[in-house]
Amino acid sequence: MTFLGLAGGFVLGILSALGDVYGTKLMKVIIAGYVEFFRGSPLIVQLLFFYFSIPALTGLNWDAFTAGAVTLMLNSGAYQKGYFKGAIEAVFKDQLMAAKSLGMTFRQTLRHVVLPQALRIVIPPWTNEYISLGLSTSALIVLGIRELTNISKSIAAQTFRPLEVYLFASAIYFIWITVSMKVFDWIYERVRIPGLEVNI
Amino acid sequence: MGEVVLACEGLKKRYGDLWVLKGIDFEIEKGQTKVIIGPSGSGKSTFLRLMGLLEPPTEGKIYFEGKDVYGSGLDLNMIRAKIGFVFQEPSLFRHLTALGNVKLGPKVVLKMKDDEAERKALEALKTVRLEEWSHHYPAQLSGGQQQRVGIARALAMDPDIILFDEPTASLDIELTWEVIDVMKDLARRGVTMLVVTHELGFAKEVADEILFMDDGRIIESGPPEELLKNPKSPRAREFLRRLIGGV
Repeated sequence: MTFLGLAGGFVLGILSALGDVYGTKLMKVIIAGYVEFFRGSPLIVQLLFFYFSIPALTGLNWDAFTAGAVTLMLNSGAYQKGYFKGAIEAVFKDQLMAAKSLGMTFRQTLRHVVLPQALRIVIPPWTNEYISLGLSTSALIVLGIRELTNISKSIAAQTFRPLEVYLFASAIYFIWITVSMKVFDWIYERVRIPGLEVNI
Repeated sequence: MGEVVLACEGLKKRYGDLWVLKGIDFEIEKGQTKVIIGPSGSGKSTFLRLMGLLEPPTEGKIYFEGKDVYGSGLDLNMIRAKIGFVFQEPSLFRHLTALGNVKLGPKVVLKMKDDEAERKALEALKTVRLEEWSHHYPAQLSGGQQQRVGIARALAMDPDIILFDEPTASLDIELTWEVIDVMKDLARRGVTMLVVTHELGFAKEVADEILFMDDGRIIESGPPEELLKNPKSPRAREFLRRLIGGV
């Protein structure tokens, strides 16, 4: 679920960041509305809203899993957009001008100049988003989706040993996040380029 | 008379209410070096950006090898590829090595094969005396070296002309010399160059003509010995007096 949310959010995040930096006024307004909506309300409310209201509004019936995944993608995309925007803007205008002077098209400039730098710059803040989204998947409990917190809850109820069960669940979250962070650190070091470190 | 590479007619540029260029006629022939001097705010950089097709003019026409570039549905990117541009700030791609920076244009824009683009890039780096630094990233190079990579990046495209926008304005004096030396080399090799600079030594040695710009116009132009020693307009006289002799 975390991976689905992150992957969908990744695509949405990049697209909306590009739209916000290089797009038309209308695009910017739409993107700003989208981002404000998802960053301005709690994830739990968004989950319930999408699960219950979309079928009511559109007649479209979807299961908890799909509703949960879509909400996570949209939510994560809104946050990731901010990180990508910062990273894209960190590739300074003078480099865009230089690419133009070489005769590069907008697409060539994005592909060979902007994205290779932005994707490197975005790794550290993106790691934070990964962790925060991973932890907030526990909110999926409200839709009855069987993720770690929900499963722990039922086991705790069956065994009457909440202390051990939740301690164990916490340990799993902890190990998972520690390992993931190591992996991201490793990737960051692997693709690091001297002088490209930028704080956004 | 040689072949005219780049020319313009009645060139004007307005930003909001402000006319930065107020009507410029200009041409440069193959193999020539022309130097533009003038006070800041006179429109030199804007003029250069327009001639490099980095911004469109408000009025007037620009001709590249006789063709009206905005007139007849030409592919602007293909013309930009033939006009090299060296910026005041080196403006290197920070995720690429010196070699990567120089190679990118030939590879992506001119669609050369990788080894061909690499050969081209190494040749250009050699011309600016940086072949031993080809695997360094911009952040690992001095300002003067970065600026020379910028020159090599323009050279590797085999341009018909290179425009320089105050390439040494942000450099220390010693770093200025290494860049100026490379530029003199290019001028002597017959590279067509249009240079905005206040390095009068460079102008004296290699320029065919100096243009003095003020207030969005070319006020005066002529061969270096004439214009530098004996400027006709009072504004050029005043400017040169301050530039050479302090205030």
